[in-house]
Amino acid sequence: MDYTILSIAPIFLAPFTAFVINAFFGKKLPRQGDWVSVLGIGIAFLFAFRIFIDFYSTYSTEYYIHKYFTWFDLSYGENLFKIDLGIYIDNMGAIMLLMVTGVAFFIHLFSTWYMWGDVRYGKFFTLMSLFTSGMLGLVLSDNLLSMFIFWEIMGFCSYSLIGFYFEKEKAGYASIKAFMTTRVGDVFFLLGILAIWHTVGNVSLPDIYAAIANGSFEGHTVIGISLATFAGFCIFCGTIGKSAQFPLQVWLPDAMMGPTPCSALIHAATMVAAGVYLSLRMYPLMVAGGLTPFIAMIGGITAFGAATIALIQTDLKAVLAYSTISQLGYMVLGVGVGAYNAAFMHLITHAVFKACLFLSAGSVIHSVHTQEMPEMGGLRHKLKFTWIAMWCCTLAISGVPFFSGFVSKDRILGDALYVALHAGQGFTYMIPAALGFIGAFLTPFYMCRMMFLTFHGKPRDQHVYDHCHAEHLKINQNVPLLILSIFTLGVFFSGSLTGQGFVKIFGSKNEWFKVLVASPTESLDKFAYYTREELGWSDTNEKEKPEHSEYEHQSGFAGPNHENHEGLHHAHVEGAFGSIIIVACSIFFAFLMYIRRSIDPARFVNMFSVWVKALKNKYYFDHLYIDVIIQKGLLKFNNALAWFDMGIYDRFAIDGWEAVSRVGYKSSNWFDRIVVDKIGVDGTAVATNIFNIVLRLIQSGKIQTYFIVLIFMLVTFVAVLT
Amino acid sequence: MSGILNLILWLPVVGMIGVLVTPKGKDQLVRYISLGATALTFIVTILLYLRFDESNPNVQQVFQVPWIEQFHINYALGIDGISLPMILLTGLLFFICILSSWTITKSVKAYFALLLMLESSVFGVFMSLDFFLFYVYWEVMLLPMFFLIGIWGGENREYAAVKFFLYTFFGSIVMLVGIIALYYATGKGPDSFSILALQGGHFTDMTVNVFGTDFSFEKLFFWSMFLGFAIKVPIFPFHTWLPHAHVQAPTAVSVILAGVLLKMGTYGFLRIAFPIFPSAAVEYSTAIAILGVISVIYGAFCAMAQNDVKKLVAYSSVSHMGFVMMGLAAMTIQGMNGAVLQMFNHGTSTAMMFLMIGVIYERSHHRWIVRPDGTKGYGGIAAHLPRYTVVFIIGMFASLGLPGLSGFISEALIFLGIYQRFTTITVIAVLGLLIGAAYLLWMYKRMFFGEPSDEVKSYSDMNAREVFYMVPLCIAVIVFGVYPAPILNIMKSSVGQLVELMAQFQ
Repeated sequence: MDYTILSIAPIFLAPFTAFVINAFFGKKLPRQGDWVSVLGIGIAFLFAFRIFIDFYSTYSTEYYIHKYFTWFDLSYGENLFKIDLGIYIDNMGAIMLLMVTGVAFFIHLFSTWYMWGDVRYGKFFTLMSLFTSGMLGLVLSDNLLSMFIFWEIMGFCSYSLIGFYFEKEKAGYASIKAFMTTRVGDVFFLLGILAIWHTVGNVSLPDIYAAIANGSFEGHTVIGISLATFAGFCIFCGTIGKSAQFPLQVWLPDAMMGPTPCSALIHAATMVAAGVYLSLRMYPLMVAGGLTPFIAMIGGITAFGAATIALIQTDLKAVLAYSTISQLGYMVLGVGVGAYNAAFMHLITHAVFKACLFLSAGSVIHSVHTQEMPEMGGLRHKLKFTWIAMWCCTLAISGVPFFSGFVSKDRILGDALYVALHAGQGFTYMIPAALGFIGAFLTPFYMCRMMFLTFHGKPRDQHVYDHCHAEHLKINQNVPLLILSIFTLGVFFSGSLTGQGFVKIFGSKNEWFKVLVASPTESLDKFAYYTREELGWSDTNEKEKPEHSEYEHQSGFAGPNHENHEGLHHAHVEGAFGSIIIVACSIFFAFLMYIRRSIDPARFVNMFSVWVKALKNKYYFDHLYIDVIIQKGLLKFNNALAWFDMGIYDRFAIDGWEAVSRVGYKSSNWFDRIVVDKIGVDGTAVATNIFNIVLRLIQSGKIQTYFIVLIFMLVTFVAVLT
Repeated sequence: MSGILNLILWLPVVGMIGVLVTPKGKDQLVRYISLGATALTFIVTILLYLRFDESNPNVQQVFQVPWIEQFHINYALGIDGISLPMILLTGLLFFICILSSWTITKSVKAYFALLLMLESSVFGVFMSLDFFLFYVYWEVMLLPMFFLIGIWGGENREYAAVKFFLYTFFGSIVMLVGIIALYYATGKGPDSFSILALQGGHFTDMTVNVFGTDFSFEKLFFWSMFLGFAIKVPIFPFHTWLPHAHVQAPTAVSVILAGVLLKMGTYGFLRIAFPIFPSAAVEYSTAIAILGVISVIYGAFCAMAQNDVKKLVAYSSVSHMGFVMMGLAAMTIQGMNGAVLQMFNHGTSTAMMFLMIGVIYERSHHRWIVRPDGTKGYGGIAAHLPRYTVVFIIGMFASLGLPGLSGFISEALIFLGIYQRFTTITVIAVLGLLIGAAYLLWMYKRMFFGEPSDEVKSYSDMNAREVFYMVPLCIAVIVFGVYPAPILNIMKSSVGQLVELMAQFQ
């Protein structure tokens, strides 16, 4: 397909235009302009779908679109410097675009029901449109700089939407916490960009791949660390911040202060996943820098730790927030163990089912006006459609066969198992893999607990139950949920697990996801001889491809090498069976505890009381960061420094000169009187006298005198000169 | 020969005379005369931009007549790509300041006359090609500032005005020594005060005997220039006059001070200190970069502790001007362009911040984020003043360096530039971005979130006049954030030439 700017740019420009229209005219438009936003994202979806179909029908890992233009050019003489911005779409980008536009469309649609009647209804849609355009801009970006730009714009939208109900003090704290915590990662991200820019000459993705393939990163060090490690670490810090990984996970649970649809879009489906997306894009750098064990460890810890906190949450959205952190941990674990394809697939499947879960939670919360699960119960009789949709997603996230979560998560776990046991990596990956499997046991438990507490059993608060209206099919309430829940079926992503020929919609391409999303490490040689030329708005697909490449994996990391199908397949079968058993046990356990009531949860709480206390305090991270580092450290230091600046430095080191000059004045006065005997006065005395006169004039308060003085001084000045 | 620079330079003076001859009691007429004069000046600066040749790195629109012939002092004006952005900024900000000063009632005539005089002298600094003329304007500028702070300022205005005056005066005296030294070093020839002729590193090998010791002429007088300009910027440790001056100054003067006057310091480096003493500048660039990064971090930390919102923004200026110094010290094409762009962008964004503080001050008559007794000064502004909140957010995030708004590009360019020479300093300096976001958001949270108090509920939202003068700044901040090429195109040839000059001495 021939692409021009007009066939790609609307993906970004349609929501952005919606933002501009709503920002200026939103209040004057009917329905405060919500339809503009929905229309904007709808148009973006159509264009993204067209691109996806193109990539799907081309069905080649080699196919990509790369177009760019010069943003500005500072070249002068021999100093060349310009910044190009552009579009880079490969199979991964095309899938991502489809997911973002699709999910965002349904979330926008749902918002017209959920937010209706809100005081700042229009403002909500304005910000959502800006956010969506930012996310789409990030996916379209061909370089790290514009990725960073959109990354920060998303951060701003996230900040504004978390603080959407700014009358609440808590919303203020939550928004600032979200922005600042992610900014810690962002600052590192920026450093990474600088390091790469300095080495490669620009930050366009194909150029970076080419530089890695050609070994440009080798032999450089930054502050004593090898360049690839430094740059990779910095970029991964961006992921840690944005994807709420340990140790910067603290902001995401608080981010639930925002309206639920924004949680669904920003804090579940897209923005937090953008962190993982960045890591996937920079995957060759992570490998070259030897960071994969570190990444796997971070992912494993996050996946496990967040899952444990989710066990004891009573707030419906808090459970989902921690489950999001945990699932993002799985994706990062996937990146770390080299399960590139599976990590990305989990990103997509998770985005769909988690968006749906959040929207369902929104549907529940809007119907019962509470977020506390202990006040709910028995809601399945009233919220039938929400109940169905939410169960589909719960099964998907739990990893039940035939659902999407099973396909993606078990590939990650299978790869982790393979790397831990069969790849000859020693103990390096054992802990992350083990944490991943324990997390896989916890996930179905807390999700089913949430479902049981919300929808099953008897209503625990009759008042809440009675006030909940029975649900009818509504285009902007539960229809989006049901449509999204259809896509929690595994068949859309993988054919093999549904039995060959079970659904023939994909024909021979039923493993499309696995085939299309190839790791850039594997296809790095495609970039090895890539040279940047001034192409403007033209395709780069026609480029001559090198016949062979001298590139070899630099770190010697033997991730799941897909040529070694035997061992990998073995590990996958082990992993799959293992996790099916784990999931079954877990669900059964939850069933016994919350439906049958044959096991009392309080027994476990008593048994692990210390741990439960730690869980209630979210492992004391908030305490450490806010009470210790910020309150006791940073703020005290700031106050001390500011006091030093004004109270000590300015008062003595600067104003002290006044005393010195007074001493000088007095002593020279004395010198005058005694030694020179009033024959003359020295320059200091004259200056001081003039100054005193000026001061007295100021105090006299007569404006006219100032002018006389002013003009007098000017005249003297000029007279002295000429 | 061109008269357009003279027009820009003297139009405010004509306005000042007009204001002075207006009969007593006609305050409204005084305001309109000043508004007309600044508006006309701004239009002429736009015309100047349209006539500017971007591909020419050299000085353009030169106007030169002899002034004091026995000393070879000329009245020489000219602009290049470094001064034009500053001239455009000056024209815009003074126009806005006149509008923002509409509510001044104390000695209206004198106030507007001084403001117009200030405008003329600022233009003079940015246009002078003669070192002596430069110095004259540099000094003349102090007088209106002194009176504007000393008469229309806050409670402690006299202290602040005197401090500002003496501190800057001290710096310029040291600079004057350098000027005189240059005059003798060039043999009192016809070019002894010509800034352009002095440039290019003619003094590299010269020595000077002071107290019987031989010093390198270039190094010694680089520091004398450095001191004069560093106080003006201000760089740590010469920054303490700034918070005092800002807190006491009336809104418009704060805007001019932060928006334009601080840039005169960095402009001095670009126009005088660096090109005249290039090898010393290169040699001491590490020191400058270190002072820059200290300013960034120190200013940001101090800003975080402030309870007076104006003081907070004053310290943030110290921090942001530190970025400019870092960009200058980088001496690379990215860093220098970034520095000049940051001068422009900081001018617009910080002007927005001070104007917005002025707007709320007119309603509340205080500026406490947290009062000394520990209670909240504001709180809940967002819920009650939506228009004010939107404009404030734009200004704040521009100043914070949010991508998509102007501050980001200049900071990114500076970082790109300095990373190539001082990696470790860059690693430390990015911390400034973090703290920079922290103090601004923390301030915003305390002022804007929460339920509005009864006092806040009594405030009225921005009126038409206030919106009118904020709009151009909002546009500048957004447009140059998305598409910075127009401003960068103005400066890139001149900056590129300077970078080439500096590269010869590396």
